[in-house]
Amino acid sequence: MYGSASTHDIPAKATTGLENEDPILLAEFEARIARGEKIEPTDWMPQLYRKQLTRMIEQHAHSEIIGSLPEGTWITRAPGFRRKMAQMAKVQDEVGHAQLLYSAAETLGKTREQMLSDLVNGKSKYSNVFNYPTPTWADSNVISWLIDAGAIVNQMANAKGSYGPYCRALDRICAEEAFHLKYGHDAVVHMATGTPIQRKMMQEALNRWWPAIMTFFGPSDKMSTHTEILMRWKVKMATNDACRQQFLDMYVPKIWEIGLTLPDANLRKNEEGVWEFSEPDWEDFKRVINGDGPCNAERIAVRRAAEENGAWVRRAMQQPKAQYVRPLA
Amino acid sequence: MNPTLDLLYRLADDQLILGHRNSEWNGLGPILEEDIAFSSMAQDKLGHSLQLYGLLHELGEAEPDTVAFTRNAPQFHCCQLTELPIGEYDFSLIRHFLFDHAELLRFEALADSSYEPLALVARKVKGELKYHVLHANTWVKRLGTATEEAIERMQAALEFTLPYALSIFETTEAEPEIISSGLFIGEAELQARWEASISKVLAQTALTLPDLRTLTPVAGGRQGQHTEHLQPLLDEMAEVFRLDPTADW
Amino acid sequence: MTGIIYLLPSSIPFPLLFSFDPRISRLELPEVPSLPTDKVALDQFPTYEVFHQRKENAAYAYVGPVHAPEADVAFLFAKEQFSRRFPCTGMWVVPTSAIKVTEYGDDQQSVYDRLPLLPADELGTAAATGQESYDIFHLKKRGKAHAHVGQVQAASPEAALQAAKAAFGDQRPVVNVWVIRSADLLRSDDEDRDMWTTTPDKKYREAISYKVQDRIDRFKQEG
Repeated sequence: MYGSASTHDIPAKATTGLENEDPILLAEFEARIARGEKIEPTDWMPQLYRKQLTRMIEQHAHSEIIGSLPEGTWITRAPGFRRKMAQMAKVQDEVGHAQLLYSAAETLGKTREQMLSDLVNGKSKYSNVFNYPTPTWADSNVISWLIDAGAIVNQMANAKGSYGPYCRALDRICAEEAFHLKYGHDAVVHMATGTPIQRKMMQEALNRWWPAIMTFFGPSDKMSTHTEILMRWKVKMATNDACRQQFLDMYVPKIWEIGLTLPDANLRKNEEGVWEFSEPDWEDFKRVINGDGPCNAERIAVRRAAEENGAWVRRAMQQPKAQYVRPLA
Repeated sequence: MNPTLDLLYRLADDQLILGHRNSEWNGLGPILEEDIAFSSMAQDKLGHSLQLYGLLHELGEAEPDTVAFTRNAPQFHCCQLTELPIGEYDFSLIRHFLFDHAELLRFEALADSSYEPLALVARKVKGELKYHVLHANTWVKRLGTATEEAIERMQAALEFTLPYALSIFETTEAEPEIISSGLFIGEAELQARWEASISKVLAQTALTLPDLRTLTPVAGGRQGQHTEHLQPLLDEMAEVFRLDPTADW
Repeated sequence: MTGIIYLLPSSIPFPLLFSFDPRISRLELPEVPSLPTDKVALDQFPTYEVFHQRKENAAYAYVGPVHAPEADVAFLFAKEQFSRRFPCTGMWVVPTSAIKVTEYGDDQQSVYDRLPLLPADELGTAAATGQESYDIFHLKKRGKAHAHVGQVQAASPEAALQAAKAAFGDQRPVVNVWVIRSADLLRSDDEDRDMWTTTPDKKYREAISYKVQDRIDRFKQEG
């Protein structure tokens, strides 16, 4: 479950370093992408491509492992067998997605344990929405449906990107997400069309989550030089705004049809078919992504505890003679 | 209680409670891949309990959701082993090892049960239990021959857990009839097979199996007597379900 | 520390982290997190590459890597990571380091075309002794997955690649080839086939199990 490609956190004035790349190799690399072929791990690639992809896939992986926590909050309390088993399977899938994505990132040269180390030490980012809590079962349902829906919009786009290992991982992830989306929708519909207690709980959860959902794809794109390069290299496949519009177009009608309302009086589709909405509070977004959200500390503390509590197991299983080599594909 | 119901409740409650407990590890496991594997087995346990509650429902008991989410601790027939908190990974692995060896042997025997619907379920879940035991054996063999730290932890967990594990085989008044009617081979026979089965694996490790005759089983679970951990578990499990008893979730 | 300390009543000297997750509350984490620690460098398992068989008689295809200390653990991990959501009738795992990889060619071409033919004596192919079996995998298109094409007998990975060119070189396109000594592949046991047939029963993990349109329609009518 992942939103924006986070390219917005590249400093706008940072150098691309392209002037230091071999022009012939660069031209071959770009020609390969232009004719629709994928890049594989042992191919030559520009430093910027490697760096941005590593960061992007790593953040995606972190978002999955951290993203398992807000829904995991309800794993022991899901009501009834059907929900209980599905909630377990969904949280499990998020961990599975993290495994697939860390592997894809590893092919670019960074080890998985280094990435996990950066996560628990607060050196890496993950999708900002997971810094918000899930105080009720309905909040978990909102994530299952709408955050996953947003993630699918983003992942379907990225699955058409240029890096082979990331595409392979995303193909698998997208296939699994189909269950998440249907499960989430099913749970929300049951709540929204259910008893007064259920309806109230769901409406309140949606009200809580909507502002965060509107920031899920990241701030509006400022078409910097970098964005252009990354789109030409098929690292970034769709603008944040395009993803957000697609999401609103697909899901707002589905939210409204089950009698739920959205807490934005300005939300509407205009005559040109473009969704209008109140500008999200990007200052608050920045504050939270930089560490000051309601759950940042907890998310990191939990990952750290998981790492520390599991350390003896990994220590015991170490094979001193076995050499780590990065995965092939 | 009718012997069939008696047996089914014990089997189903064990699976539900241990499946629930093991799901607590999901997202918090020691290795990403292990996190996934452990969750699958927890889901399998839930699935097994659902099938067994389904058999009970066919015999006139309430719906599986009602049975699982509305009873209180004294009405549960799980052994106390299943209800203990997850603790650290050494304990969770040892519990998994001790429980699933019994479970695989139990369901292998139940495949020949005179109660055909149960025999059918037993044959269906065998593939899953085979993986559970393979998983448990691999871990016990690896950690039981690894570092001093790991061996010490696993040995301590084994010694702590065994008296609870012996309670898997606690019998009820229905036991003679369960055996004579061909429902099941009986707990004593199962325990004998289990001892042979776990001994074989432990013999390949640096772990020592204490003389089981010297241990006192922590019995009571089959009669509805439980540790202080079960009722809070049930309250937590049913927290949402009980918010609105008329709701369809 | 042993696994049993959790049963003792806790007397924690610091304020605990509040969580909406009861599982997290039970971890009894401090409200102020402990100082970050870098993971030890050794905390990194080798990787194994995993191939699965989607149905009986289908070619084994690459699905991805797992991290594991040994092949038997890699196999345990691979089973649930790669077969829990899709039908699978068998699985192979191999240490990543045991795979010989050719260079990658362009889509539509064959890397075998660029493979120089080496003299037989250099490869030891002339000698009948020391031959063993190698498994050959092809990648047909960049971004797709390697699939098993067959086995060859050879005295070295290099010779196996030459033999693969002779046996499978007419297939195209071939973007990349993996050569694996057959003895390095850990294969699922035929006796354990029942372990692989359980996935299709787990309907709660399938999108198709969630059909909610009737409920929406009913709600709209009543609304």
